[in-house]
Amino acid sequence: MIEVSDLTVRFGGVTSLDGMSVTFEAGTCGLIGPNGAGKTTFFNVLSGFVRPTAGKVRAFGEDLLSLVHYRRARWGVRRTFQTEQAIEDLSVFDNVAMIHEHARLGGARRQDVLEAISFVGLDADPSARVATLAAGQRRLVEVARAVVGRPKLVLLDEPAAGLPDQETEHLSEVIRRIPEQAGALTILVDHDMSLVSACCQTTAVLDFGKLVASGPTAEVLRDERVIRAYLGTAEVS
Amino acid sequence: MAASGGSAAADTEVPATRARQRPTLPRPGTGTLVRAAVIAALLLFVLFALPQLMSLYYVDAMTQVAVWSMAALGLGVLVGRVGLVSLGQVAVLAIGAWVAARLLFATAQPYPLVLLEAGLITMLLGTLIGLPALRLRGLYLALITLMLAGALTVVLATTNFPNGGPGFLGYNGSQVHIPPIRRPSIAASDPAYFRYAVVVAVLMFLLVFAHIRTRPGRAWAAVRQSEPAALAAGINTWFYKLWAFALASFITGVAGGVLAGANHYLYSLNFPTYYSITLLAVVLMGGAYSLWGAVIAGLLWALLPSLLQNWGVSADWLTILFGVGVLQVLTTAPRGLADQVPKDLARLGRAARGLARKRAPSESSAG
Amino acid sequence: MPSWQDFEPFIVSGLALGGVYALSGVGMVVLYQATGVVYLAFGAVGAMGALIAWSLINAHAPGWVGWLVCVAFAALVTLAYGMVFGPALAKRDPLVKAVATLGLTLVLFGLMDLLWTTSGGQSRAITLPTDNGGFMIGQIQVTWTQVISLALGIVITVVTVVFLRLTKLGTAMRAMANDREITATLGVPVRRVEAAAWLGCGILAGLAGVLLADLVALDATTLTFLVISSLAAALIARLRSITITFAAAIVIGLVHDLLTPIQSLSNYRDATPFVLAAIALLALSSGGGQVLTRSREEA
Repeated sequence: MIEVSDLTVRFGGVTSLDGMSVTFEAGTCGLIGPNGAGKTTFFNVLSGFVRPTAGKVRAFGEDLLSLVHYRRARWGVRRTFQTEQAIEDLSVFDNVAMIHEHARLGGARRQDVLEAISFVGLDADPSARVATLAAGQRRLVEVARAVVGRPKLVLLDEPAAGLPDQETEHLSEVIRRIPEQAGALTILVDHDMSLVSACCQTTAVLDFGKLVASGPTAEVLRDERVIRAYLGTAEVS
Repeated sequence: MAASGGSAAADTEVPATRARQRPTLPRPGTGTLVRAAVIAALLLFVLFALPQLMSLYYVDAMTQVAVWSMAALGLGVLVGRVGLVSLGQVAVLAIGAWVAARLLFATAQPYPLVLLEAGLITMLLGTLIGLPALRLRGLYLALITLMLAGALTVVLATTNFPNGGPGFLGYNGSQVHIPPIRRPSIAASDPAYFRYAVVVAVLMFLLVFAHIRTRPGRAWAAVRQSEPAALAAGINTWFYKLWAFALASFITGVAGGVLAGANHYLYSLNFPTYYSITLLAVVLMGGAYSLWGAVIAGLLWALLPSLLQNWGVSADWLTILFGVGVLQVLTTAPRGLADQVPKDLARLGRAARGLARKRAPSESSAG
Repeated sequence: MPSWQDFEPFIVSGLALGGVYALSGVGMVVLYQATGVVYLAFGAVGAMGALIAWSLINAHAPGWVGWLVCVAFAALVTLAYGMVFGPALAKRDPLVKAVATLGLTLVLFGLMDLLWTTSGGQSRAITLPTDNGGFMIGQIQVTWTQVISLALGIVITVVTVVFLRLTKLGTAMRAMANDREITATLGVPVRRVEAAAWLGCGILAGLAGVLLADLVALDATTLTFLVISSLAAALIARLRSITITFAAAIVIGLVHDLLTPIQSLSNYRDATPFVLAAIALLALSSGGGQVLTRSREEA
């Protein structure tokens, strides 16, 4: 369970998060909102890249904000980014094994890594350099990096952006299986509402850095406030 | 590119089992062995045949190539592998040379020990500077290295290099007869010292190679591509940047030591501030990422001017060329300053292939 | 410890030097704000312009022609560089843009050494007509050149502050400093604004070249790397504030020259800008442990 209390991020006259308070219980939770609502800022706070002006985050009983960024990853926060971040010069294996190299995770490293690779359904040679892979495959490498080694919190930032329908479908299946495979709480940010409906049991909605609605996904997507926040940009399919 | 097709065609069963059978580190295949053999052969040629074929003038130049290849290697690790720019590496070289000279005059220690100490002391200083400096990013880091190097150059102009004198600085300003910096007893002659320098350089290259193939190399690759992503993978990026700084300082310090023995006499005007800029230029032109790039950089730095001097052409043309080279590399390099292919050479290669294709008109010239 | 009287002449020369550093620093800050480029070739273009002026004067051209050519040369080379390499590198990191200007520096440096060889012993000098006249403040001799240097520094600073705040072009430059792309979508002629910034910076580089060649030395290396003193001032101002650039430049000039009569430190005075800039940079870093500089990824 992730409890966010009164999270505020103010920088240079811009308020990205304004007293955001929400609780993510378990399983896969969606986080949606129009552009500029603060979703990526929220992820950046969780990752430790942005220091909040005020507020607290308790993750599974721990004060998450007291850990420095790289230690959070070792503690169990994983994320994917909007832009491709799989390391091109390294092999698939080395990419996915990275967290093992830097955190004392224990367990059989090679087995863990290979399991993560097959879990995401990546049909590439693990010793192949990521630079040789197609965009969709690189995305899968990133997702594999996010689920390897028993993470506690998986943050997926628009993982399906720019992917063709078939690959989005495959990704959707993978995301749905993350909680059972990795035992992690997953927060999914995306604009593709069908993806969010398919994967997330609950969804929270941000607008102007504040929580606008939260609850079971189907209800939230029908909520008038949510539709108004998107100003009628009908992405609900 | 063989195995990775689109997700449609793939059979998910077979690749999974294939994945489990693959080892983590690819065992050296035939390709790697052939390459190692070629490098070994090249090395033997350079060590034994080259000094016989060249005049002393060029043996001297090639010794400088060995020295400056090491300096380029250090800078290449920073720029090419980690994505950090240092505009003060020649100052680091000067420190290494200073320390080596001081030790060579003050003690009777064997040469390898002196080189090691020069490297370690330089590494210590580099690390101390890196501690605060690496809090800065990109542009500001580059600028602070420029500033610190500039300050050091001013200090050096006053303190001078050790020349057998007394005191901590080891400089005697009034001495008429200045003793030369000694060389190792087994490598006193120029050709012998050349071989010595090459061996030291090879050791430095092997040191870097070992780093690249193991954990620091992988961490650097992550940091270079995206620092946030590296942090998100649990990498303590500041620590690995510091490690790179330390490694580069060590190698450059050792190079300074070799330079001291090569030149016999050191003067602060051998290390002007703008040399650090020119060094960056040749590193970029040779290719900051690949280890061969450092060798090319060394050749550009030390061999080309000697050739030009022999032919009566001013070395200033090289400075101009290097400036143009920087502009060309930066405007054509797809990802920042760290580019994998030595751009100029790649173009040369393509041009050569183009010429070969033109000679065989039967082949289709599909772009 | 030298007496007050020993320091006096250096206060004047320090202020003059500081004035030139100020006008250079201001030029660099404005250009950085408008284009994201730290123009490290600032000194080199001024140096080459000064050498061209010297050659013309040596060939019996009138003084003012030489100075005009110097400023024009610096302005044109800077503008040309900006128009060619500005767009090519527009989307790149400021580090890449700065290193590119080092490429230009090397080209100019090589050209200068080639065309005006520094054959041992022979030194060149430039004198301005304003070197001869002057007045006395108490015991101190002040030349008109020194007055002009300080005055120009003050004037350029004031004009620039007014320009940035009150004119349309200036406001456009400030907008571009914040976000080039958004400014473009607002209908601001981005290319033209950049061209103005490059041109202005080039003119200031030429002026600085003339004055520094007179005040300090007409030597390619010295003049090219004096840019670091101006850069130091700009860095102390975090590449943002024009007025702080001015103040920092004056301080740098003063400290540098005031160290001259102090025997123990005199030899190290050339390190002043380097040391002050390094301190400024480190002070810069302590403000903000943000990993992401500008998060464009606002979802």
